[in-house]
Amino acid sequence: MTVAVTTLTSAPSLARVFATSALTAYGKKGSVLPDRTLRLEGVRVDRDHLVAYQRLCAFGVGDVLPHTYPHILGFPLQASVMSARDFPLALPGMVHLANAITVHRRLTADDALDITVSARDLRPHLKGRVVDLVTEVDVAGERVWESRSTYLSRGGSNPDAAQEAAAPDLPPGDPVAVLRIPEDIGRRYAAVSGDVNPIHLHPLTAKAMGFPRAIAHGMWTGARTIAAVSNAAGDPSTSQIRFRKPVFLPSTVEITRAASGDSVVAGMRSRKNPETEHLVLTLA
Amino acid sequence: MATTPRRAAILGGNRIPFARQNGAYAKASNQDLLTATLDGLAARFGLAGTHLDEVVAGAVLKHSRDFNLTRESVLGSALSPTTPAYDIQQACGTGLEAAILVTNKIALGQVDSGIAGGVDSSSDAPIALNEDFRQTLLAANRAKTTGQKAKALTRFRPQQLLPSIPQNTEPRTGLSMGEHMAITAATWGITREAQDELAAASHQNLAAAYDRGFMDDLLTPYLGLTRDANLRADSTVEKLAKLKPVFGRGEGATMTAGNSTPLTDGASAVLLSSEEWASEHGLPPLAYFVDGQTAAVDYVSGEEGLLMAPAYAVPRLLARQGLSLQDFDYYEIHEAFAATVLVTLKAWEDAEFCKSRLGLDAPLGSIDRSKLNVNGSSLAAGHPFAATGGRIVASLAKMLHEKGTGSRGLISICAAGGQGVVAILEGA
Repeated sequence: MTVAVTTLTSAPSLARVFATSALTAYGKKGSVLPDRTLRLEGVRVDRDHLVAYQRLCAFGVGDVLPHTYPHILGFPLQASVMSARDFPLALPGMVHLANAITVHRRLTADDALDITVSARDLRPHLKGRVVDLVTEVDVAGERVWESRSTYLSRGGSNPDAAQEAAAPDLPPGDPVAVLRIPEDIGRRYAAVSGDVNPIHLHPLTAKAMGFPRAIAHGMWTGARTIAAVSNAAGDPSTSQIRFRKPVFLPSTVEITRAASGDSVVAGMRSRKNPETEHLVLTLA
Repeated sequence: MATTPRRAAILGGNRIPFARQNGAYAKASNQDLLTATLDGLAARFGLAGTHLDEVVAGAVLKHSRDFNLTRESVLGSALSPTTPAYDIQQACGTGLEAAILVTNKIALGQVDSGIAGGVDSSSDAPIALNEDFRQTLLAANRAKTTGQKAKALTRFRPQQLLPSIPQNTEPRTGLSMGEHMAITAATWGITREAQDELAAASHQNLAAAYDRGFMDDLLTPYLGLTRDANLRADSTVEKLAKLKPVFGRGEGATMTAGNSTPLTDGASAVLLSSEEWASEHGLPPLAYFVDGQTAAVDYVSGEEGLLMAPAYAVPRLLARQGLSLQDFDYYEIHEAFAATVLVTLKAWEDAEFCKSRLGLDAPLGSIDRSKLNVNGSSLAAGHPFAATGGRIVASLAKMLHEKGTGSRGLISICAAGGQGVVAILEGA
């Protein structure tokens, strides 16, 4: 099978992508993923942007790219793939279910990154359909970083859908950290990531999308959890984040943690109602 | 210069009464408190105009303008202006660490005399600019042209005027020290009753020390205070039992405002020297500073409790000195919380903890509780973070002097950041 690779000359504007996706959201149909891969070559890291990301997620400021940072660079391509007219699912309202990242080698702000994004494995889910957006990052032809982002498009019910791989339980017990997440974290992360999905920006725009309040970006909560439990996640490592309940803003959350051998399992749960689980992370 | 280590002598100490936050010292700065304390020490030991080889002190809550806090305090004091000074900071271990540093220099012959101290004001605390406002101002400051400056300043928003008040939380965990301690206390099964008993004893012991005049040459009155404002001479277990828990959650919460130290303002200083300097100045040593040790634990991962580091530091110090935990006449275990003391003692009695965490064949064992904090500790006196080390060194040195030559005392102080500073003194 040949794959059509479209090489872009610059990152798509996310504001435009989101506007387009709103216009093309209706009448989405079909069950076949378009045979398309988007590629962006020689991407250079903007150091001011890197510092802004590192501060926002509580990674230390430095030259090494945080574990989750390349996701931000690939996200415009992801959104672009999903907003295309022939993409079978509507981008607005898409729910980030899970994210798996592998850092093959430590990346720095001096690396020139070739980023490739494609959609794979469209499949039924209990509450709709899910698709994986695979982001691969190469430096000089060597695979250095990759990620699989799993998104759910709600609608229809598929009681017979195959179960997604079971997530581990949140580590129980006392919190190792408490995070007070401010009301404006969605706007701050949108400014850095370009992900201006209205559910993250303001209570009013979130209400328009059916949420009582704005919710934190999943990849911010995931990155913040990684920063809370590891100093070395920029080194070769693998993470799996499973998102559960959204974090309504503002919120105070607890991080729980359990170590087994070289891997760490961490959870984020509500401080007020500890039974409300936001995410579970495995990091090895 | 000495070629073999010399004994470092403790000649005495001075502190001001400790005030509760926003009490008698509400409008005094760290520099005011430390200067008053140094002046009191100078008056007691006839040091006015005297050159000392160094003064080492610090504060935990410190304004950025106070980069030379100790030197500025020396310049404002009766000591000779030729007395050098420097600041250190190791959270609540600051005061004891300062004593370790000065006594090490005495032992090496680098200095003959010095003062170790500490000060903290929780009332006159630094308030920082809102972080967004600070970033906006820094951006404007970096800008080169007027136009760029104006553009940077357009990022200003009125809500940026809200200041950033210092938080009493561990930066890496977002949990307050009390919340951390509550987790550790629950893990070790420390009861409310045991904590309240320790707190009541602290108040009763300190009150008795004042009543028999023990504090008379350890303290200089300041701003109308002659005794520690936090001291409740009539404190009892029954009264403490009525307080509601403030740390911990649900049924198992045991820590109250009565068995936790309150925020306090105060300062302390200790006069240290070589034996030669002491004899030249006609000042008899009260005790000798034998040895000190620090330790730190991984509390960030939750592997160990935040305030457990002294439990690790003490066995290392004992091993180096060839002593057992029972070889002491007095134990001064800083009462950050009553539970801190009780957990530390329980850990040393616990065979499993001593084996798996401390790597010991046998537990350190129990201590004679009648030798613990016999003149009260931080629950009664209060705990101006950096001033606690100097308070303990001075009063323990006096106790050991009264006990007699060769008597021994152990000091254990826990500190933020999962650290601990411990030391051994010997009566002169």
